[in-house]
Amino acid sequence: MAGNVVRPGSLADKLQRFKRIVDQSGGWKGLFLRVARIDEVKEGRLVGVDKFGNKYYENPMYFLGRNRWVEFSDRYGYDYDGSQIPAEWYGWMHYKTDRIPSEDPTRPKYKWIKDHEENHTGTERAYVPYSTTRSKIEAWKPPKA
Amino acid sequence: MSSGKAASVVTRQVRPILSLSHDDSRRRVLALYKAWYRQIPHIVTEFDIPKNTKQCQQKLREEFLKHKDVKDIRVIDMLVIKGQMELKETVTKWKQVGHVMAYWKDSVNKKPDDFLGKFLDGKD
Amino acid sequence: MLRAPLQKALSLPNLRQLSPALRGISSTPVQLEKIEVFVDDKPVLVEPGTTVLQAAAMVGVEIPRFCYHERLAVAGNCRMCLVEVEKSPKPVAACAMPVMKGWRIKTNSDMTKKAREGVMEFLLVNHPLDCPICDQGGECDLQDQSMAFGSDRSRFTDIQFDGKRAVEDKDVGPLIKTVMTRCIHCTRCIRFASEVAGVDDLGTTGRGSDMQIGTYVEKFFLSELSGNVIDLCPVGALTSKPYAFTARPWETRKTESVDVMDALGSNIVVSTRTGEVLRILPRLNEDVNEEWISDKSRFSCDGLKRQRLVAPMLKNENGELVTVEWEDALVGVGRALLRAGEKSAAVAGGLADAEALVALKDLLNRLGSEALCTEHTFPQDGSGTDLRSSYLLNNKIAGIEDADLILLIGTNPRYEAPLLNARIRKTWIHKECDVALLGPKVDLSYDYEHLGDDTTTLKKLASGQHPFNKKLSAAKKPMIILGGQQFGRQDAAAILAAVQQLSQSLSSSINDKEWKILNVLQQVASQVAALDIGYKAGVSAIREDPPQVLVLLGADEGTITRADLPKDCFVVYIGKLSVTLNLLPGHHGDQGASMADAILPGATYTEKQGTYVNTEGRTQQTLAAVTPPGMARVDWKIIRALSEVLGESLPYDNLNGIRQRLTEIAPHLTRYGSAEDANYFVQAVELSKTVKAQLASTPLDVKLKELQDFFMTDAISRASPTMAKCVQAVLKQKTSKY
Repeated sequence: MAGNVVRPGSLADKLQRFKRIVDQSGGWKGLFLRVARIDEVKEGRLVGVDKFGNKYYENPMYFLGRNRWVEFSDRYGYDYDGSQIPAEWYGWMHYKTDRIPSEDPTRPKYKWIKDHEENHTGTERAYVPYSTTRSKIEAWKPPKA
Repeated sequence: MSSGKAASVVTRQVRPILSLSHDDSRRRVLALYKAWYRQIPHIVTEFDIPKNTKQCQQKLREEFLKHKDVKDIRVIDMLVIKGQMELKETVTKWKQVGHVMAYWKDSVNKKPDDFLGKFLDGKD
Repeated sequence: MLRAPLQKALSLPNLRQLSPALRGISSTPVQLEKIEVFVDDKPVLVEPGTTVLQAAAMVGVEIPRFCYHERLAVAGNCRMCLVEVEKSPKPVAACAMPVMKGWRIKTNSDMTKKAREGVMEFLLVNHPLDCPICDQGGECDLQDQSMAFGSDRSRFTDIQFDGKRAVEDKDVGPLIKTVMTRCIHCTRCIRFASEVAGVDDLGTTGRGSDMQIGTYVEKFFLSELSGNVIDLCPVGALTSKPYAFTARPWETRKTESVDVMDALGSNIVVSTRTGEVLRILPRLNEDVNEEWISDKSRFSCDGLKRQRLVAPMLKNENGELVTVEWEDALVGVGRALLRAGEKSAAVAGGLADAEALVALKDLLNRLGSEALCTEHTFPQDGSGTDLRSSYLLNNKIAGIEDADLILLIGTNPRYEAPLLNARIRKTWIHKECDVALLGPKVDLSYDYEHLGDDTTTLKKLASGQHPFNKKLSAAKKPMIILGGQQFGRQDAAAILAAVQQLSQSLSSSINDKEWKILNVLQQVASQVAALDIGYKAGVSAIREDPPQVLVLLGADEGTITRADLPKDCFVVYIGKLSVTLNLLPGHHGDQGASMADAILPGATYTEKQGTYVNTEGRTQQTLAAVTPPGMARVDWKIIRALSEVLGESLPYDNLNGIRQRLTEIAPHLTRYGSAEDANYFVQAVELSKTVKAQLASTPLDVKLKELQDFFMTDAISRASPTMAKCVQAVLKQKTSKY
């Protein structure tokens, strides 16, 4: 047995972990694409998937703060950002809770709750503030011909 | 007596700022010009401005030639001091890109001085 | 700071305060020896009959007052003006007490001070402490005088007792907001209504602490001058309804200007804040409006903000007006003008300033066109508009006070020029002056002899066969006021000729050779300046010779419609605003901006420095209180810019330049404040004899007969929601049984 136990931090451990990473990424090609996309190689337990297809992972081996992460859905391509994490996963990602949304019965569920929307800043759908005061001058509108 | 008085009026002494003679002031001006000239390549790279060394040199020449008709030594000295200050502010990066680009005044619109221009601008 | 400045009191030392009931008693002052009195030991010589308050004003001592007002009868009921007179056991009310020889008046003695403090205490004990939410705050006589003359501490400790006087508010119409608890019963509003406005609606009921000011029955206080009671009210009992809770007086910027709502050119102050006209107040000018203004001048300023043209527009290929840049608009209009050349014409509206009129005339003259018209007509026969005397109010407005017989022909001054009517009423009350009216029977707020509305009466009068001629020739200073509206008639020339001949026949019998008889009351603010500059009156020239390009300089009245013009005529509208006229009965189709192919947005009278000549020939100028909205520009500058695009640059590019040009054309156009006299009366009459036209049989008529006709007459007042509310209020009052 003792011979089979891989000492943490040993070369064998590292090689095994690397193999798991390669497997989890879907082979060498997948690993390449992953590095290209998120510039990070990590392996961990898949905790859940939200309705947009974002995958949430956890691996307590990493230091606190890096041991939970999200792999954004392929629909976002290279255009992903933190605001794409829906509100229900926000708490888990930020260590406010250890219970993932599906296991938390205290969460309110109403029909009228709208889908999460990402931050549209910088896009055409960005919010632009507008004045709500009545203008001082009322302009004449020409009659429609 | 009266002639002496007149002479004293003509040669009224003013306290010099730096230079005592025209040669002196000329030397200072040229020194400042050279100092700027040598710094220009560094300025171009440091500030990452959309101008090349050649354009900057041309602007430097322009800025100096703007005052080519100044004859008063005290005024020249003051301009040299100001130029020195500008240089220091630039080289030590107390200035920002906008300050350097302000030499070209790209974003400054000339105020209209004809009636139609003022009318279209809506300003008097 | 008292509402009535000292100089007002000084300027009218001899004004006899007669109540309307005393009308008929001659006011010609008998020259009596002056008597000497002492105010605070300063000697002053005054005429007998001068009140203590007036005597004090002469040496520069201002006695506090609430009820006293120079232009109203003395009431003497507020008791604020109590002063000590030596050897008199009680303090006397300075506003009502005539001085006696040798009196020593003490305006600063202990007794006086104590009396004032006592009166002030009584006033405040029944006055709510709501200055923070009161619209009068900052311009309140009670506030100011309690600071200056009141006690420095209060004895009012009864805060638990709920018996402080409270009075129900009254609804007196859409213009005046009442908070009757604040009323201190000075009765200025009552006296104004019955003396100046001639509407005996206001009065008091009850006495003591039950006294109330009101209309007795539930009805509106509706008059063309009603807004003035807001200024008169020394406290916040009567405040402006449209201006309620809008601004404090110290926040606003005041610009001295001139009103253009009627042809009188009342002097006004425009209050603005953050580029917005908030309210308009009267400015003192003894020669024009004294210290009143009409409700249209005062309250139509919200029409300056509605229905505005804020950007140039051109018609696109679909026939729709679309917003364009100034460059495109100028080029578009310029192209049309160049193509038309001398086949271009212009119509000037009633609110155009002299600068714009001159610029437009210069531009069109350079193009070779002489077809410049005004919307309001004037007969071209006889002397036409060549002699200034035939279109001016030659006696001047202040001259009315010297007249002893006034004959109004085809006019209703009450609504055409409310302040002129107020002058006539003032003269009628205080002097021996009779009024007669030839025209439709209207309520002028004073009695008059109605001569019917028949033109034959005019004919008889002109030939001296009418019974009224006896009265006319007996009068020492007769005055004939002809309404400008009659010039719209077919037989305008005949009417003018008849009136001119009548005036001439009277002039021989009067002693004062300086006294003119013929007066014309114009309808709009721009007319006199336009005629002075050389515009043709009336648009008949354009109808006869339809142009290819028509420039409408704020011409909104619809005197020219699309039907009068060839189909391909290009119409340019330069102006302030236009109104969809569906509110007004009888107006259909395209008016002003709606019929235009190009719109160049101009400035209103509060937005430009413009010259106006009023109906008496007085040149006055407006000052720019705010900037024109959006892309709108000052009118004459638009025309100047247009000239440059055409390649015919007019030789002036600033205000001084164009004013110089005005001076070149007619020097009086830049002599601000003074009224240039007209002459050549005799010649005008001689020329009038050449008039062939005969008087028509249609009776003389006026457009503005009743109060509801008064409020909405021009582009600004028609766009004003307040004016619309006034019309509604008048119509509602009509249905009331009171």
